Parts: sequence; C-alpha cells; structure tokens
Amino acid sequence: MKRLTLETLDNEELLSVKDLVVRFYTYEGIVKAVERANLKLRKGETLGIVGETGSGKSVTAFTIIALTPSPGRVEGGAVYFRRAQGDVVNIIKLKEVELLRIRGKEVSMIFQEPNAALDPLYRVGDQIAEAILSHRLPEILENVIKFVEGELRRGRSGFGARLELWAYRKMLENPKSAILAILRRIPIIKNLMTRRLKHVVREEIIELLKLMEIPDPERIIEAYPHELSGGMQQRIMIAIALACSPVLLLADEPTTNLDVTVQAQIIDLIMRLKNKLNMSIIYITHDMGVIAEISDRVAVMYAGNIVEVAPVKELFNNPLHPYTRALLESIPRPGSPFKSIPGTIPNLVNPPSGCRFHPRCPYVREACKLEVPELVKVSEDHYVACLLYDGEIYGKYGGHGRSEEILSDKRRNI
Amino acid sequence: MVIPTLLGISLLIFGVTQLFDPIERASLYIRDPRQIRFVEEIIKKYGLDQPFYVQYFGWLSQVLQGNLGWSQSLHMPVLEALITRFPATAELVLYSAPLTIVLGIFLGKISAVKKDTVIDHVTRVMAIVGWSLPAFWLGIILMAVFYGGFGIFPPGRLSPWAEAMIRSGKFKAYTGLYTIDAILNLNGDVFIDALSHLVLPVITLTTINVALIMRVMRSSMLEQLGKTYIIAARARGLDSKTVIDKHATKNALIPVVTISGLLTAGMLSGMVITETVFEFKGVGYFAAHAATQLDIPAVLGFALFAGLIFVIANLIVDILYAYIDPRIRLR
Ligand SMILES: Nc1ncnc2c1ncn2[C@@H]1O[C@H](COP(=O)(O)OP(=O)(O)OP(=O)(O)O)[C@@H](O)[C@H]1O
Ligand code: SF4
Ligand SMILES: [Mg+2]
Repeated sequence: MKRLTLETLDNEELLSVKDLVVRFYTYEGIVKAVERANLKLRKGETLGIVGETGSGKSVTAFTIIALTPSPGRVEGGAVYFRRAQGDVVNIIKLKEVELLRIRGKEVSMIFQEPNAALDPLYRVGDQIAEAILSHRLPEILENVIKFVEGELRRGRSGFGARLELWAYRKMLENPKSAILAILRRIPIIKNLMTRRLKHVVREEIIELLKLMEIPDPERIIEAYPHELSGGMQQRIMIAIALACSPVLLLADEPTTNLDVTVQAQIIDLIMRLKNKLNMSIIYITHDMGVIAEISDRVAVMYAGNIVEVAPVKELFNNPLHPYTRALLESIPRPGSPFKSIPGTIPNLVNPPSGCRFHPRCPYVREACKLEVPELVKVSEDHYVACLLYDGEIYGKYGGHGRSEEILSDKRRNI
Repeated sequence: MVIPTLLGISLLIFGVTQLFDPIERASLYIRDPRQIRFVEEIIKKYGLDQPFYVQYFGWLSQVLQGNLGWSQSLHMPVLEALITRFPATAELVLYSAPLTIVLGIFLGKISAVKKDTVIDHVTRVMAIVGWSLPAFWLGIILMAVFYGGFGIFPPGRLSPWAEAMIRSGKFKAYTGLYTIDAILNLNGDVFIDALSHLVLPVITLTTINVALIMRVMRSSMLEQLGKTYIIAARARGLDSKTVIDKHATKNALIPVVTISGLLTAGMLSGMVITETVFEFKGVGYFAAHAATQLDIPAVLGFALFAGLIFVIANLIVDILYAYIDPRIRLR
C-alpha cells in the first residue's frame, strides 16, 4: 500500500488540497474544523463532497478561494491550483492582488442560500455587472472604443461621443487615473461619460442571462433580489459565477433550499453549462442521489477529515470506510425504514482522539483511539482513511486479517 | 399614523398636569403671598376644577388655534417663546448632528473593519470615555481652557458688537440661524463671530453623543461583514474596499438611520445642559428655566414641541429607509 502523496499537480490535475488544516478561534475554544484534508481534482471532472452537517465541507470550499470565514485560520497545508496560463500556485500563500485575479475569473462559487448571497440593496443587473467589470473591463473597453470610433467616422455623433472616447481610452490606459476618479464623482458627467459602456455591459448581461435560460432578461436585470424566486436567484448567482468562464466552480449545496422541481432544473443547468464551458466542479451536497447522478468521483468528509475518496460507482458498490457505509445505509429507500447513523457528530473543539469516528464506529479497536488514520490507496483511485486498511499501523498493534473480515461483512450487508 | 401619535402625546403631556390639584396649579400664578385669596377666583376663571376631559379639550382647542398659553417665566406667549428660541437650538444642531453622525459612522466602520486591533480598542475606549463625560463638566472644562485660558470661543451666541450689527437695519434676518444669515448677508465678520461661539458647544455635543452612533454602526457593520453576500461579493473578485464601501457599509447604515433620527430629534427638542452651560439661549435653555419656575404652560408647550419634533423625525426616517432599502419601497 502506497501512502498518498500530492506534492504538486500532475498534468491532468487542476487542483490539489494538501494536508489542509483550518481552525476557528472562538470563545468556546479552538474549533478544529478541517484537519489534514487531502483532495485532488482533475480537469473537467465533477467531484462530489458529502458528509453530515458540520463536517467541514463549506470551510474547505471557502478555503479553496482563500475566503475562510473569520475567525477561521488556515494553520497548515496547501491548496495548489493550476492557473489558466499553466503555472501552479499555492492559493494559501498568494497575495490579495493575485487572488483578485483568480476569484470570479478562474474559480467561482455558488451558495446554499441564493437569497443571502445577493446584496439586497442592489439590482441583480448591477451585481452581475460587478463580476463582468472586475475581470473583463479592458476587453470590453476595447470593444466600446472601436464602436465609438466607428460612430465618429460615420459622423453620427458629436461632443458626447468624443468625451466618452476620451474617458474610455483613459480608463484603458490607467484605470486608477485621478481625473477619472474625480469626474466619476459627478453624477451627470459620470452618466455622460459611461453611456455606451453601460449599454455594452447591459448587452453582455442579457446574453449571459439567456445562457442561464432566464426568460425576459431585460426585466430581470432591473429587479431587486427580493423580487425574484429562489430558483431565479440561484440562476442569477450562477450567471455571476460563470460571467468570466471560470475553470472551476465550487457549488456549495446550491439546491438545498429549492423546490424539488427547481432543484432538478438547476442541477441540469449546471451540468449543461459545465460541458459547454469545459469546467471542473466541486459539488457539495447531502443528497446521495444527486451525487450518484452528477459526480465522477466522490469524497466523503467526517468531522473535518476526508475519510474516503473513490470514483462514484466504486464508492456506491464498494464502500470501505465504516462511516461511508453508515452514510449509504442511511439513504432513505422505499420499503425500508430510515436508518440514521447512530451516535452524534463530535464536538470539534475537543474532537475524539485517534480516528475521529471511533466513538460511533462499530469496528472500533484499541488502535483507533491512539492512531490518526491517514488516507491510503487501496486500489486504483480508491483511497480510505481507516486503520483497518492500513497494514503498517495495524501490524504495530498485532492485528491482521481484520480488514478482510470487514470486507466480507460488508458484502453480507449490501 | 402621525395624527393619533400626536394626540396620544398631547394626552400624556396634559395628563401629567392633573397630578397637581387645582389649588396647587392656581397658586403658581400667585407670586405675592398676600394675594392668596385670589386662588378660588383663578380656579373658577380657568376651569381648573372641571373634569379632566373638559379641561383637556379646552386646552387642545386652544393649542390647535396656535395658543399655547402665556409663559409666566418668559413674559411672552409660549408659542412666541418657542419660535424665537428655536433658531438657536436649530443652529447648534445644524453643526453638531451631522458632525456626530458622520464621525460616528466613520469611527464605527473603522473599528468594525479593524475589529480586535489596536485601532478598534482605541476608538472604542475614546468613544466610551466621551459618552460617560457629564456634559456640564466637559462644557465647563472646555470653557475654562479655551475661553478662560486663551480668550477664544466665548459663551453666548454672538459678541455684543455683532449683536448690535444684526439688530441694525442693514442686516436681514432670514432664518434666525446667525451663521446662515451672515452668509446670506455676505457678512464675513458676523459669520466668524457666530461660528466661534458655536465651537465649544458643538465639540461638547459631538464628544458626548458620538459613541451612540459609533456603537450602532460598529455592531451593524460587523453583522453585515459576516453575511454570505459579502463572501459572495468577494468570491466574484471584488476587492475588499469595494466590498466594504459599496456593499457592507450601505447595508450597515440602515439601523444607523433610525438612531441618527432619534439623536437629531432629541437635540432639536432642546439640549438643556449644553445650552445652559454655554448660555446658548435655545429651546433647552428656556425649558430648563421654565421648569425651575414651575411655569406649567411653558413646560407643556415645550413637551408638545418635543413630541412634534419626534413625530416629524420618525416620518423622515421612514422616508430615508424607503430610499435606501428597496425591500421597504414596495410597501
Ligand atoms: N464562522 C465560524 N465560526 C466558528 N466556527 C465555524 C465557522 N464556520 C464553520 N465553523 C465550524 O467549522 C465546522 C465545519 O463547518 P462547515 O460549515 O464547513 O460544515 P459543513 O460540512 O459545510 O456543514 P453543512 O452541511 O451544515 O453545511 C463546524 O463545526 C462549524 O461549527
Ligand atoms: S479507524 Fe477504527 S474507528 Fe476509525 S473508522 Fe476505521 S475502524 Fe472505525
Ligand atoms: Mg456547508
């Protein structure tokens, strides 16, 4: 058995989370929310992350774009990401200016509550425009300049167009220009100065909303978030996320709060856009049905640890970690009674020693309370963090053959 | 909404007078102990022994006709007293309220953004110290240092020469706010003089009240900064300045609008201690004076006036809310 090593990215990999440690410094104590988590994501792949509430799925996703919520701190590990130009960076170590070029442009995120993810005080059109303007301003300016120049050549417009042309050239040359900053403070001049730019951005937004299959986009961009349904709000969030065609989309339970029919539509939309834009997706959910439907591989999280990673079919047919098996057994099925996982989610201020699952694990042994299991490769592409599958440590405590016992046990169960 | 509120206020204010019996109320009009035999006469004349509702409606109908009664202590009708004193208070508020509000918002925002840093601690400690200073003490100290020590920033509203100037025919009083009038008359000297009289009371009021705004702004800002839409805004690539200034601050201002409205209304209805310390003869100065003289019509008039100010302030706050928050605009 070979220990999992992920020093850098190999060619077809886009992202690698390596030994990530995230802790929250709260009044109740230090919440050890993510402890040495390891993940990798290939180009064009959909990776599902499942796990009970509080297992650290969202914190992991936020940390991938360096937005760990306060009072959380990244205390160890790395997040390697392959930039569009091909160079590999460690997101954790990047400066803010660099991150601004990645967030929303190369990596985007959508959220569990689209209603909470939109600023209630701004029209949705404005919020989509923010995403477009913060990354694509030069490109759009060039288009607008060409457009205005054309108008002028044809002698169509006069002073207003000249003012705009001057302003756009200035903006392109130096977006932080002091004179522009001053002029922009004067509402009338600001309006005159940016009329055609606004028009072009508006057209872009409408195109984007059509891509999101939003009917009547002209009306929707003028709406405030509270005037839209949850499904529509989530489509807007997706539009914002995909405005600059990112290579990676982090989807944190994007359909949990939506009606069942809307859920299906949104998932469908995300997957179609994924193919169209050639993205990779990390899809977080509690819904094993969705996981089975959309993901290529699945990572199972428990109490801040990644406990098992496997291709989706393999995971459902051959779950190795006792927690994964409990999770799969707890899926409600017609005809069989709902079976919840026995025991409670541990408190992450004082997590259980050794394997964090040991208080709830039916196969617990003495070693489990002392040794922290690491992800080990058990077969091609199948990794599990459980001492039963770690011969080295297992041997140390004089046990052997037990994993065979479990495997046969499992076959009896499923 | 406005009318019932005002009626309720008037009922409450007038009701308080009923805590005194008619003899006590009548005897307030008698300054000379030898005239005590006129008490019965006064009670009869003003109907002080009538049932409450008769007295109330009698009073109310007078009030609605603009008659708030005669002030014994000021020797003029109460309404006239209010009208002549209000500009002084309004002028003080014109400078202290915006200063307090803007400073409070600024400090609250900084200390929220720099939460748990030295800047946050220093700002909060300073604000709390200001908050806990008694106005009269701060006023007296400031006056002792600046006026007593350096001879600048005198008490009152104007120096005698300026007073004479504005009473001369050449100076037109448009608003009764001397700084504004001075600008309208293009009179720089009077403007500077009026302004120098405002400095210390404005500093006092700002020091004492800024913590109120600051605390609301800080906690509101912290609440907003923890919301998902802030993470979402950053996730789309916005820099933290845009996220804070455009998104978090605007949302955080909503509760600040309410508290600012209340603060301004409270100031406009008279700042008893500050006006008294600085001999700034506004509404608060005379309300205090009238109260010590047990001048009931004047006290009633001032209370009613304060009620009116609060009702108007509430109305303005509601309008501002609708302007900021589209969720309210619908209703
Ligand atoms: N802002 C915070 N302050 C303190 N602790 C936090 C914070 N955010 C998350 N945590 C802690 O980190 C742990 C992981 O939280 P996280 O939100 O990642 O869970 P999750 O797997 O996304 O759960 P859910 O399925 O409910 O979304 C939890 O124990 C939680 O208490
Ligand atoms: S390491 Fe031990 S306690 Fe943990 S899952 Fe495996 S068997 Fe259970
Ligand atoms: Mg979550």
